[in-house]
Amino acid sequence: MKVSYYPGCTLKDKTTNLDDSTKAAAEALDIDMVELPEWTCCGATHPLTEEKIINLVPQIRILSNVRTEGNDSVTTTCAFCYNTLKRANKAVIDDPIKRQRMNAFLKDDKRIPEYDKETVYDFKEYNGETKVVHFLEILRDTIGFETLSNRVTKKLEGLKVAPYYGCQLLRPPEEVDLDDPENPSILEDFLRSLGCEVVNFPFKSECCGSYLSLSAPDAATRASHTILRSALKNGAEAVTLSCPLCYYNMDKRQDNILKLYADFSTVPVFFFTQLLALALGVDESVMGWNKHHIDPTPLLKEKGFLS
Amino acid sequence: MPQKKIGVFVCHCGINIASVVQIEELVKRLQESSGVYYATDYKYMCSEPGQASIRDAIKEKELDGIVVACCSPSLHELTFRRTSSSVDLNPYLCEIANIREHCSWVHSDSTLATEKAQEIIETIVEKVRLDEALDPIKVPVNKRAMVIGGGISGIQSALDIADSGYPVILVEREAAIGGHMAELSDTFLTLEKSSELLSAKQREVSVHSNIQLLTYSEVEDLDGYVGNFKATIKKKAKMVDWDKCDGCGKCIAVCPVKVPFDQEHPLGKENAIYLPLLEAGPKRVVIDKGICQHFSGECSECQTACPKSAIHFDEQDETLEEEIGAVVVATGYSMYPKDRIGEYGVDGCEDVIDGLQFERMLAAWERGEGPLRRPSDGKTPRDVVFVQCSGSRDPEHAMPYCSRICCMYTVKEAMVYRKAVPDGQAYVFYIDIRTGGKGCEEFTQGGIADNRLIYMRGKVSKLYREGDKVVVWGVDTLMGKKVEIAADLVVLATATVPSPGAKELAQRLKVSADDYGFFQEVHPKLRPVESPTAGIFLSGAARAPMDIPESIMHASGAASKVLALFSQDDISHEPIVAFVDEDYCSGCGVCVETCPYGARELQGRKRVAKVIEVLCQGCGACIAACPNGACQQRNFQAEQCLYMLDAAL
Repeated sequence: MKVSYYPGCTLKDKTTNLDDSTKAAAEALDIDMVELPEWTCCGATHPLTEEKIINLVPQIRILSNVRTEGNDSVTTTCAFCYNTLKRANKAVIDDPIKRQRMNAFLKDDKRIPEYDKETVYDFKEYNGETKVVHFLEILRDTIGFETLSNRVTKKLEGLKVAPYYGCQLLRPPEEVDLDDPENPSILEDFLRSLGCEVVNFPFKSECCGSYLSLSAPDAATRASHTILRSALKNGAEAVTLSCPLCYYNMDKRQDNILKLYADFSTVPVFFFTQLLALALGVDESVMGWNKHHIDPTPLLKEKGFLS
Repeated sequence: MPQKKIGVFVCHCGINIASVVQIEELVKRLQESSGVYYATDYKYMCSEPGQASIRDAIKEKELDGIVVACCSPSLHELTFRRTSSSVDLNPYLCEIANIREHCSWVHSDSTLATEKAQEIIETIVEKVRLDEALDPIKVPVNKRAMVIGGGISGIQSALDIADSGYPVILVEREAAIGGHMAELSDTFLTLEKSSELLSAKQREVSVHSNIQLLTYSEVEDLDGYVGNFKATIKKKAKMVDWDKCDGCGKCIAVCPVKVPFDQEHPLGKENAIYLPLLEAGPKRVVIDKGICQHFSGECSECQTACPKSAIHFDEQDETLEEEIGAVVVATGYSMYPKDRIGEYGVDGCEDVIDGLQFERMLAAWERGEGPLRRPSDGKTPRDVVFVQCSGSRDPEHAMPYCSRICCMYTVKEAMVYRKAVPDGQAYVFYIDIRTGGKGCEEFTQGGIADNRLIYMRGKVSKLYREGDKVVVWGVDTLMGKKVEIAADLVVLATATVPSPGAKELAQRLKVSADDYGFFQEVHPKLRPVESPTAGIFLSGAARAPMDIPESIMHASGAASKVLALFSQDDISHEPIVAFVDEDYCSGCGVCVETCPYGARELQGRKRVAKVIEVLCQGCGACIAACPNGACQQRNFQAEQCLYMLDAAL
């Protein structure tokens, strides 16, 4: 399949391991995934203010560019980017006034400078044609977990992984519509197709603390501790997720957790694409294990997935 | 046809009409108008002197028809039709010309308004000119009622009708009557045992000479109209000869099919063959064909075990046709399935139950079947959390309504629980305590204080299992604190929803259901026990969630409506109905498809369409649809309408 790829800002900085492993996995799965040549910030969060016009423009500009590239869908692995892009697109589809105003901005992008009389720009209205799909959706709906399980070269058998969703992948369900917001199963099915043992725990869609990491770090520490402790208690050896902010709160924050909760033992955190790339036998250099605060290599070596 | 003598009576309506329309000028013009024989005016036509002037004019001038130019016909048409029939002028020869709502109230230019009033009146004069003298259609009433549903509402409606001397068929789909009330422990306010209160009623039904009880039966179809319904009832095969069965229970002991505890099923049904719980009457078993393994496999264990050879697997369903005059729908309620509330669905955790299941547990304790035990491991629950509004008042679950009964039964359950487990603690999460009924608030406050119940105002966001506990995450909004309770048992007051199959039944009865599937009343304030279909009445929780006393009131209300219908030997029906000119009818059947009331049919041999006058509501759909103009409506005939148009334009 042919699809545009929107990485998002974090993947080019703090979590290049997510970016690299995504691209490598897509290549291994023969997905024709091309990064957009030009892209901007996705807005980071869906606007919460009443006036939702100007703060939807970046998302719509990105989606409109996907079409310019000749693709009809765009994929991303960052849960935040997925959430903002998908919701902005739905806002444009549902609301004709927003649609009109978005297009006024898009048209303005194409304004011909006074001095340039030669260039002819063709402006095409954007009406929500681009489909926003999470990389997990491609695995589930386009490739299929059964096919994926057959294509896996290195089964991650015996690895007990707790799937963690966070908020952005699932909510609000009427706009995001990826899976059941209360009892999701897409990550579980994904993990099973890699051969992992799924660890069920009650906090897989509880809040990780999100941006409280900046304003009230202790609250974020408490939140991530609740989640990780429950995962460990239920027998997890590792946690997997798709959101860079969750990743930060789960991985880096274990330092703070250890300071507050002496009985806590650390647990490695993987992006789901890292496990995917690993299972597909992709070259290890893309994994970026050195980016992890809690080093996952000892666990992987112990399990025999790394030499 | 000789010209009809038509009188026109113009009302001033105080200044309502007279301040805009020039009455004197109008009457003068009308007197000169060709079709008008007599015209006059009065300050208030609807007043007694006004009506007297109409009566006098009809007699003196020997009028053949009258037009009263006044307010809307919805206000005073009936008044003036009664006036004319009191002096032997057929009421259908009296018509209203609306010159208030359609003229004086909406215009200010006096000259133009007067012209318009004249045109309105002349239009109606044209109508009266060709109006026929009609008589109301009389239909005999079959004084026999059918009550659907044998819960407390159905029982009460059936008893009220039967006690008044009319025969009643009581149809219940389960094998025993009693409904949900048979499952309850103590009832609130008096804390009397529900089963004891009910058994008196059950006994009354079973011995009443006017009640024909059809258990294990379902209404398949309903045809006909008020006073003359025909019901098709399916009597489901019980597979057991009740003359031979003595309820020994040997068959139940060997049945391999186990019905799980939390499934919606009548009390006592633990296997595919079971003993319906009936306090009164003999004990007899029945087989549920749907889950019995004889029909899905080879099993015949119960047949072998039965010492009386009472089990016959070849017994077939039976279909009955019954003629009745009125129907009472008393299908009751059920509980919203708790696994549809994602945040409370703890992977099928057995210790999260709904209020009705807890009632059954408490009732078992009251019957002396041992201490209270929770479903998962049989431990006595020491910490019980009640969660009110589980699904109710929650638009996200498409149930924005209040289920009404939960506040009361929750406090009652918590009180009974404290009796059953004196050292246990009950916690209740609520949004509001809505206990508006007589004596209810006192009961609730007394119950909370006397039993040390911990009430917390707030919602529960999540339930999850930890070890053998169910952890409840909630919030106490009055304290402004998050609350976490490790409970042994969680009781969800899940929303009260219509009984399963209510929507399908509504379709079969051709009555409407509201957005949630409850049966729709004609008017929520003024006509709460009548369905929009004449002759079908609503009783109890089939219409909306309600508690036992309210259901009984409602049931008696529905019964009294049935009795009012039965007090007449025949009923009248508006004669403004469609009719067919058989010479023009080609028998194409378009009208039959068009009619929303089932009032049109093709006469087999003659191949012409017919109107069942008592069903016809005079909507005119078939008249518009008829390609030949063979369909016409009484007093709205095509010719008449054309003359009216001429006058109007």
